[in-house]
Amino acid sequence: MDRPASAQDEVSTASILVHVPSQLRDYCSGASELAISGTDLLTVLAEIESRYPALHRNICDETGAVRRHVNLFVNTHHIRDLNGLDTPLSPGDVVTVLPAVSGG
Amino acid sequence: MATRVLLSIGTKKGLFVAEAAKSRGRFALRGPFGPGVAVYAGLIDTRATPRIYASSCNAFFGMKVLRSTDLGKTFKETKSAPAFAKDDGRALANIWSLEPGDDKKGLWCGVEPAALFRSGDGGDSWEMVAGISNHEHARKWQPGNGGLCMHTILRDGKRVHLGISTGGHYLSEDGGQTFSAANKGVGAGFLPDPNPEFGQCVHKMARHADAPGRLYMQNHGGFPDHPGIGVLRSDDHGKTWKSISKGLPSDFGFPMVVHPHDADTVYVLPLDPATRTCPGASPGVWRSENGGDSWQKLAKGLPKKESYFTVLRDAMDLDDLASPALYFGTTTGQLWIGRDGGERWDCLFDALPPINCVKVAVV
Repeated sequence: MDRPASAQDEVSTASILVHVPSQLRDYCSGASELAISGTDLLTVLAEIESRYPALHRNICDETGAVRRHVNLFVNTHHIRDLNGLDTPLSPGDVVTVLPAVSGG
Repeated sequence: MATRVLLSIGTKKGLFVAEAAKSRGRFALRGPFGPGVAVYAGLIDTRATPRIYASSCNAFFGMKVLRSTDLGKTFKETKSAPAFAKDDGRALANIWSLEPGDDKKGLWCGVEPAALFRSGDGGDSWEMVAGISNHEHARKWQPGNGGLCMHTILRDGKRVHLGISTGGHYLSEDGGQTFSAANKGVGAGFLPDPNPEFGQCVHKMARHADAPGRLYMQNHGGFPDHPGIGVLRSDDHGKTWKSISKGLPSDFGFPMVVHPHDADTVYVLPLDPATRTCPGASPGVWRSENGGDSWQKLAKGLPKKESYFTVLRDAMDLDDLASPALYFGTTTGQLWIGRDGGERWDCLFDALPPINCVKVAVV
């Protein structure tokens, strides 16, 4: 028997827009943006891992940690100023993946 | 028929390939491939249609393995790089060695943190070799200045020798299923016990394929209280080691290579232990033609003074032509060729990025 959709189900299918930097677009068929379902960053990354495993390997290491020189932003806020990977997401939020600045 | 000499030059800013006729006159340079990304390991695999492999240590997005099937004209990423299992707790930091595996597409790969991986499909997929990667000593190894790296893989039938900094020398006699520390005679001047079972800072190991029982080791030397521990030889497949450093200006150094046609001829590049540059600011490759019993400096054509470069552990190699040439790359971006086995040196390129590794093959 089908279960009636709950508010939680609606949230769980919310679409989050993930901006992919130019250096990583080859790992997701050239897409600059991905529409990903998730209620927090962890679930968004899990969905990316499922759909684009090579892209995920560029963002996170084997332990699941975000790579040291990759920055994740939710809208305009760095996740270190939020709740890290547990940062909750709402429909319409934008996650931006950016390599850190460096030189030398 | 082999007609070309091919050099793979891994630098801080990517991979370069240099190519010349067998006369080794003018070398044409191409690259950088994987631009802007440091390359610490290379392999020119000539067992079938030549393939060039290189690690690409992307500080942002993790490790990649690059592969070329057209003699280094183009490179593509393999489908994956070595990776630890999710629940292992370790994360790949670098790739330090790439060596041919059992069949034509087989590869062995030493990584940081020190562990060993194998591929059976030219680097598209990898499996960890548990016998050393999960060795009971593995979590006790400590990183040296370059990181906790597995930099040397030497294979001889069922025997596998591994060099780890700092972990020491490990030997398998069952094709890599199990490994034992084999460091008798290998000193560790930086530990309270200077003769530990394991934990030595091995810098490089080398041997001739036709004389697998004789191995050479450049160990971390330069300790006044423990003279001579830096340059060693084993005549029993690595089970015991003895010093062969007498006659060298320093027993500290990184690279070590063996002559392709003579198992008794070995080359090192001694460095001052404090600065890790050439002793007296006067670089030279030192050659022994009797297994390390005596040494001769080869420096004709190299700077005689005011030269303060470092040559890293994988930045020296030899081709296998009848009169082989040596090649070494410096941390100041110079690529030198030593013709006639190092008797005459010329600078092939003098303004490359800092050089991490050099491999050569005749193809």
